[in-house]
Amino acid sequence: MEVTFRIRRYNPEIPGKDKPYWQEFTLKDVEPTDRVLEMLHRIKWEQDGTLAFRRSCAHGICGSDAMRINGRNRLACKVLVKELGARIQVEPILGLPVLKDLIVDMEPFFAHYRQVMPYFVNNSPLPADGRERLQSPEDREKFDDTTKCILCACCTTSCPSFWANGSYVGPAAIVQAHRFIFDSRDQAWQDRLDILAEPNGVWRCRTIFNCTPACPRDIEVTRAIGEVKLAIRGGKRDGIIQVSQIETH
Amino acid sequence: MTSLVLTLTETLRYRGAIGQWAWVLHRISGIGVVLFVTLHIIDTSWAVFYPDLYVKAIAVYQTPLFTIGEFILVACVVYHAINGVRIGILDNNPRWWRYQQRAAWIVLAITAVILVPVFILMFGHVVNFYNDPERQILPLAFVIESQLPFAVGIVLAFVAGILVSGIHGVIAPASAQPAGGRPHGSRLERFWWSYMRLSGLLIVPLVFGHLAMMHVIQGVFDITARDYVTVGTTLVNQSGTAVEFVANRWNLLIGGVAVWRLYDFALLALVVIHGFNGLRYVLTDYTAQNALLRRGMMYTCVLGAVVLLVVGSLALIGTIDQTAIEMAQEAMAKLHP
Repeated sequence: MEVTFRIRRYNPEIPGKDKPYWQEFTLKDVEPTDRVLEMLHRIKWEQDGTLAFRRSCAHGICGSDAMRINGRNRLACKVLVKELGARIQVEPILGLPVLKDLIVDMEPFFAHYRQVMPYFVNNSPLPADGRERLQSPEDREKFDDTTKCILCACCTTSCPSFWANGSYVGPAAIVQAHRFIFDSRDQAWQDRLDILAEPNGVWRCRTIFNCTPACPRDIEVTRAIGEVKLAIRGGKRDGIIQVSQIETH
Repeated sequence: MTSLVLTLTETLRYRGAIGQWAWVLHRISGIGVVLFVTLHIIDTSWAVFYPDLYVKAIAVYQTPLFTIGEFILVACVVYHAINGVRIGILDNNPRWWRYQQRAAWIVLAITAVILVPVFILMFGHVVNFYNDPERQILPLAFVIESQLPFAVGIVLAFVAGILVSGIHGVIAPASAQPAGGRPHGSRLERFWWSYMRLSGLLIVPLVFGHLAMMHVIQGVFDITARDYVTVGTTLVNQSGTAVEFVANRWNLLIGGVAVWRLYDFALLALVVIHGFNGLRYVLTDYTAQNALLRRGMMYTCVLGAVVLLVVGSLALIGTIDQTAIEMAQEAMAKLHP
């Protein structure tokens, strides 16, 4: 099949291209099962070598190629041509500064990520046997969903609250915080709740739900944000089982 | 401002699901209701302070422009109420996230189911009014002119908010923020988040009762109907003035308690605080990048809420006596010579 790509271009270094504009490319011999990322490669390799976009693993796990494709945020490497039709529109994700064509500056996004202490904190001595800090399968289950995040920014840049206000910490950072807040072994959960209870924390979430369908990893983003809000309101995380309790089982 | 324009255009361009449109409708309907509540509290207070102005305000409510506005208002209130209940329920049960989109459709369906009979009944009042050969309708130019003071007042409230924000900026520059300190979270925002959901739930029955009495059972046109029993009372509006209508309700005592004054006070306090905090959410979302404007919007909302609470409360503890009703009769005679 023949597919027309309409791509948002921008190159600050070349006069005439330093304002965002649309450019169309037509590709022949496209298979319905081809992925959009491959088609972007074909455009770059066969038609216009200046087309700039990010990709790394090309298998939906590195989170490099988030783009707004036919009006919705997705990973170019995970979406097939047959899901989109013969006209495909590709533009950079919104809310982060565009550097060139489809490449955005991810630094503000990662700044929010770092803000929520996205690492495990436990300063207590190791258990008596010096091995693992144990956790029940039920406790592991509580944050299982949010361990899947690949930091592609699909969710955060689908959020109208984030478009309006780049200081809002955004869905992705809340998902990452959720992963540690609800980890029974972690000790900094209260600090994270305090960080997210700031005016530009979870309160800027207006439950619009663009984030959840945008997630290429099918994370229940809305649910994670909701659980963090309730934890902040209650000042506690529910159902935590202490390590000592597990050992008596 | 760029932030608002960007959000508006990109919301139209982004293919979000129904949740996105539910949010848009919630905001628009909320702003619509706050705007009307602002007019409504101020002009209702005139029943106590300036009976002649109140007569004029109700006559303005009975013009075609405001009749259209009334239908839009009722739609806004019903949608905002039902959608608010959805938000409250799902926010308290994040595990039901899967039903969010479906719930947003159900909200639209419930809104439609409520609005169909309500609109039919409201339309009945409109038809009755226009079938009355003695009906009197103020000209459009008069109606628009009568709203100018409100428009000026709203603009002034924004100017005042930004001015106070500027003074705030001079006295306490932005460096007053704790540098490098550990965040403690905003207790205030946490309170407001809970307040919006709880007050919303309390407002729903109160506002539905209010709408039923003032727009469905009796309409805006019946406020000035002579020899009509005033809704919610057993008293008859003998003079056929809007002032006597208010007096009948507010002076009704059941077991020594002025029930409609209490009802209206509960509505006033809950709605004004809910409405202006909601307005603050909307206005600060789009001014977050500019400290002067963001604070200004906050002050504007505080100012608006305080003014309306004070004016409304003073009216609710005020008395409406026979002189006021006579003044209203005179004003009515002058309005429709």
